[in-house]
Formats: sequence, structure tokens, C-alpha cells
Amino acid sequence: MQETLTLPSINFTEVFSTKNGAIYQSDSENCWYIDFAGKLARFDYRNLLKLKKAVYQIDIEDLLLNSEKSADLEIIFICACDHCYVLSLLQIIKMKELLKGTFAMLELNHIIYDRLHRLAF
Amino acid sequence: MKDIIRVKSLLSTDIETLLNQQIKKEAHSSAIYLSMASWCNRNGFDYSSDYFFKQAEEERAHQLKIYKYVLDMGGNSISPDINNIKLEYNSFREVFEDALDQEISVTQSLKNIAARCHKEQDYVTLEFLNWFFKEQREEEYKARRALELFEVIGEEGTGRWQIDKHVGQIVYNSEA
Ligand SMILES: [Fe+2]
Repeated sequence: MQETLTLPSINFTEVFSTKNGAIYQSDSENCWYIDFAGKLARFDYRNLLKLKKAVYQIDIEDLLLNSEKSADLEIIFICACDHCYVLSLLQIIKMKELLKGTFAMLELNHIIYDRLHRLAF
Repeated sequence: MKDIIRVKSLLSTDIETLLNQQIKKEAHSSAIYLSMASWCNRNGFDYSSDYFFKQAEEERAHQLKIYKYVLDMGGNSISPDINNIKLEYNSFREVFEDALDQEISVTQSLKNIAARCHKEQDYVTLEFLNWFFKEQREEEYKARRALELFEVIGEEGTGRWQIDKHVGQIVYNSEA
């Protein structure tokens, strides 16, 4: 969470990254940038939660065991969001890992925030 | 780094999920009571039918109360899918046995949310839930009293007719 990446006029803080991707937070824009599957996509609060829900809902075990499914591709479409992902099973697993780590770090940030800034001394 | 999620919503993901489950539970209760109202009406128990119509409306009001609270706190309320509602009962008494079971399970699930609130120190939601706990006192009392009528009046002869008449008169008025 320490690394800060500076692009012209926008500040990103890395929330979490894996070998396969990264999620950055922009405090000035109140949003997140997801670097995954070859693109950088912007997500606001509502859309990030919708993405989380969509990815967590995918039954990976079922996809692994189900031999009937012809294509191993899953389309993650988020209502009222500009981005959609077409991911292979392996990518879904990697995306889920990235999101899990991100939400754990956001939760940690919330705890730190509460302790440091929100309690009166 | 800003705590954006907390700024947007007072509710944690877990509490929000539990509240949405409760919304579904209240909607389910409402649907069950409506089904009971239908069965009672079809079988000639008009007072009990009215009683269950009223109960159905109360449960609907409970559902909306939680629904609006979740939205007001910045969360996402989910309109529930309700299915598998029992349509037939084996006896007049069974209707009331099921009604009490339903209320007990509602109380239990509210206690479960409160336990989670304590754990997270979500005293805001806990305070919101207090109204529901008070409500459950009344709901359980009424359901238990209705069932008691089967014992004190008895089902023989015109018993069921008497029981039906008295169901409509059950009130709970504890000031405590
Ligand atoms: Fe209720």
C-alpha cells in the first residue's frame, strides 16, 4: 500500500497486486483502476462491488467438473459499467485471487483508518 | 489511502448480507401468513383468516423497514425471490403450530444478526434491531396464545368454532 505511482495529475496507490495483475486506488477520483487481462479499467464503488459479486458467484468447481460446457470462457458483464471481461477459467481464478487480496487490503485500510483517524484522543 | 468503502456505506459486507437475508425471511413470513389466510378462509375459519391477513401485512411492513434501512445506510437492498410456500394444512391446529415455528425462527435469525453486530461493534444496526426484538415479543406471545386456545377450549364439538372466534381477539399490551 506504500507504493505510489504518479501519472500526470492522477495519483494511484497500489492496493494489491499479484503476478497477473494489480488494483490501484485513486483518492482524488474516489475510484479504482484494475490492471488485468491486458487492460486498465476504471471502477467506481458500485461497479467494484458488482464486479466482486459477479466473480465470486462463478462456481469454479462446477466449471472444472462440467465436461458438457464447450467453451471454457466466462463473460463478466457488469450492468451500467463500461467494461466487460471475457475470461478463461484460469483467468477467473487469477481475477478472484486479485479481488480477494484487494478486499482484504481495503478492510485492513479501514481498520487502520478507524484506529488512527477516527478515534478521539 | 482513503477509506472509500466506509465513506459510501455504514454497513459491513457481512451485516448487509445478513440484513438482506432477513428481508427475505420477512417476505417469506408474509407469504406464509397469506397462504394461511387462504386456507383458513377456505375452511370456514373467517376470524383466523382475517388474523393472518393482518399478520401478512405486518410482515410486509417489517420487510420494508429493513429494506429502507439498508438503502439509507448506503447499502444495497435486494428484492427477494419467494418460493415453496405451503398451500395445504392437515388441520386447523397445524396452521397455528406452523405460525409459532415461523416466529421462533424469525426471533432466532434476528438474534444471529445482533450477535454479529456486537462482534463488529455495529451499535447503529443493533439499535435499529431493538424495535424488531420488541416486536418479536408480541409476535411470539400472540402465536403462543393462539395455540393455547386449542388446549383451554378444546377442539371437540363446537370447539374449533370457538377457537376461531377468540383468535381475532388476541392482543398483547405490555407496556414494559
Ligand atoms: Fe416480522
